[in-house]
Amino acid sequence: MHRLPVLAALILLAGPALACALPPSIVLTLPTGYYMAAAAATVALTAWLARHGAPAGLAPRVLWTARWTPPLMLTSYLSLLGLIGLLFLGFAGARDPMHNLLTLIVWTGIWVALPLASMLLGNLWQGLNPWTGIVRLTRQMLGRQGGIGLARLGHWPAVAGLLAFGWFMLVSLSPDDPLVLARVITVYLLVIYILAVLEGEDWLARGEFLTVYLTALSRLAPIWREGGRRLIGLPGAQIPGLPPLTRSEIAFLTLILAILTFDGLMETFFWLALIGENPLEFTGRSAVRGVNSAGLLAAWALTAATILGAARWGAHLGRVPVPAGAVLLSFLAIAAGYHAAHYLLTLLTAGQYTLSALNDPFFRGDALLGLEPFYVSMGFLTDPATMRLIWNLQFALILGAHLLALVLAQRLTPAGTAPRAHLPMTILMVLYTVLGLWLLSTARGL
Amino acid sequence: MTHLPRRCVLAGLAAGSALALSPARFAMAQSAAPIKLGFQLHRTGIGASYGRWYERTAQAALTRVNAAGGINGRPVEIVFEDDGTDPKRGAEVVDKLVSQHGCDLIFGPLFSHVVIGSAPRAGELKVPYLVCSEGYHVASGMLNRWTLQPGITDVRAQVSSMAPWVTSTLGKKVTMVFPDYAFGHDHRDFFTAAVEAQGGQIVAKIAVPPTETSFTRYFPQIPADTDVLYHVMVGPAVLTFVKELGEFYGSGARPQIFGFIDSLEAVDLAGPGLEFLEGTHFWEGHCRVKQADAPAWEGEYRAAVGVDDNGASVSDAKDVATYAHMFSVWETLSVIKQGMEAAGYQSTADRQKFVEAVEAMTGFDAGLDHVQGTKTFNGKTHQVFGQQFISKVEGGKLIRVHATAIEDGLYPDAVDYTTQSF
Repeated sequence: MHRLPVLAALILLAGPALACALPPSIVLTLPTGYYMAAAAATVALTAWLARHGAPAGLAPRVLWTARWTPPLMLTSYLSLLGLIGLLFLGFAGARDPMHNLLTLIVWTGIWVALPLASMLLGNLWQGLNPWTGIVRLTRQMLGRQGGIGLARLGHWPAVAGLLAFGWFMLVSLSPDDPLVLARVITVYLLVIYILAVLEGEDWLARGEFLTVYLTALSRLAPIWREGGRRLIGLPGAQIPGLPPLTRSEIAFLTLILAILTFDGLMETFFWLALIGENPLEFTGRSAVRGVNSAGLLAAWALTAATILGAARWGAHLGRVPVPAGAVLLSFLAIAAGYHAAHYLLTLLTAGQYTLSALNDPFFRGDALLGLEPFYVSMGFLTDPATMRLIWNLQFALILGAHLLALVLAQRLTPAGTAPRAHLPMTILMVLYTVLGLWLLSTARGL
Repeated sequence: MTHLPRRCVLAGLAAGSALALSPARFAMAQSAAPIKLGFQLHRTGIGASYGRWYERTAQAALTRVNAAGGINGRPVEIVFEDDGTDPKRGAEVVDKLVSQHGCDLIFGPLFSHVVIGSAPRAGELKVPYLVCSEGYHVASGMLNRWTLQPGITDVRAQVSSMAPWVTSTLGKKVTMVFPDYAFGHDHRDFFTAAVEAQGGQIVAKIAVPPTETSFTRYFPQIPADTDVLYHVMVGPAVLTFVKELGEFYGSGARPQIFGFIDSLEAVDLAGPGLEFLEGTHFWEGHCRVKQADAPAWEGEYRAAVGVDDNGASVSDAKDVATYAHMFSVWETLSVIKQGMEAAGYQSTADRQKFVEAVEAMTGFDAGLDHVQGTKTFNGKTHQVFGQQFISKVEGGKLIRVHATAIEDGLYPDAVDYTTQSF
């Protein structure tokens, strides 16, 4: 370990399993330290300006009142059929993960493109959820009503699911392997199906991690639905209307933040040096499963401790009983911003393989999307102008997300609370901003 | 993403393209079943940027082999399995390719630790394992009779063969800057010995910790009387290394500079920030820029793998290939074809015959089968030796100024695998 993170300089490429190793980094040669300082100062200054309370913003407007809503059961069946088709490809298709649509759709579609789309367009998962239709049908056929009491567990089943997912994505040996992925998804699909049949499809919104996460991200979207009405508002406008987070929801939110953070951290020179790995000759996942499992849990513990600590300290300073679960809603914005910035390059690199495989799923020369066959291109990763643009976009996403989180935190605190009550959360947001930018720009070993 | 004429790209993209070809073409074979080759691919992990080009080269080579009638009259298929550039997964991939997919043999891995982790399993399963790794681990004797490296010269020979030209042309007092781990140590040790054999001298050895991302404090350690600065830095901070080295010397006098292209493989040297490299020299295993005197097959090979005259993808001039290494995949498939045909290979029962057939080879002539050049093959050490190139950066392009003789890189045998049992 050689120097403080803030001073270390810089490369980017994030990405879960499908990250592509990079040529030497352009971003390491950019003055990213100045960017971090400027972002930290902006967040701090915004907090100071808004110390007496953030402006309420514009009231949401009704865009239109829909006379027709999509038949969610039908889209759910179609989604399930599509998933079964992908699973078939996982079991029987190309062994190369970059030529297998199951791997590509899961890691670039469901885990990257869908969350991004949900942040912009609202709760798309509601229509895509592959369980709702079949669960309802099964319950009707079985004449089953009521549940088995899973609801009492709150969001804890989703927390368990998310932890298992995080470990699978970040630590397990071969999350990209189409066969491994097909097996894992099949098991998960069946387990959730059985539980939801026993408890009812409404339980999915509490017990299934992807449903919980995508629904939460969609709360930030500038357009959303209430009944038959389509509303438009500022990003995050729905957040202040939400009930405070429960204990299990807090666990879920801190875990997702920890997973996103650790996904970035575990590839940095900083972490690799810490665990005694040579970043230029990374041994491979098999050598670091134990330490990275511990690292993931430690990241969760640290994230939860700092966020809850800051919330409690703020309540203490303000001498008002602010429920931590209310203020913590603001961290949804940070999760969303980091998700978008962190996986941007995955979308731009592995996304090309997805496009190519969608266009020609069996590699026979088909052009289902009407595209001529093309070579996947990574030249932009070595182009200074493009990489500067991408870095600036990531910078804007991280900074914007933290400013939004800050404003939301102010809005979620009862009016009239002393300004000093915001100090701990402000400090945390400043640190989080710097951490997010550092993770995107520091030297990475794989 | 530039769109390409479909036919041209299909040649490079079609997976299992053998199946697309007419069965009639292969009717002469005793068995019409395809020959299945397993490819151990660094698709993810630290080797992924190499893996992408290795796969592309393998697909192009496969298309060519099938278009020419396959192997022993049978179509050829490649099963690509990702090893995550991880030795443990590598061994599992060897297992899978043999047990699940029934591959006749395995080829393709580059990273040394994966090769070293996988080769024992190949030995246990008694399956030919042809690596494209350039590591000295094959010829050093640390692997086994089933492991061969017939497609690329090993690093010991590459490095040693640079010494005669460097000492006679650039200067005799050399300072080496290298990353402080096995890769850098190989360069340090092999080059030191070779330079001293030429009457030269290593005046300083500057080992840089692998976690370093700024290098300014190392440059003052370069002795003032250095004639040649030899660098082999790799990793994400290489651009920073070049930038800081440029700032250190400014526009004033500097020693001659010689590097290994491994540092900047897949990077456009004409790009901004690399101006300092103008006039410096690099080792290249295969010249990235098509040289003025390039033979006809060089153009055919480039067209097949979709690489332009500057060594970049035909669809993206910024997307520079791992050109100095990826020919090894192409040439290894050529050796597989020659070996299987020499052995009269029919089924997995003939795997041993295949290894013996390759061991009996003594060399390869330059041509479309061996695009990088003429080679000598040492059946005892399972290692091939070819000429190496030294290129100078002129106007942002690598122009060849020297081609070594194969003999420049030869060294005494450390092993005779042919005396080992199968």
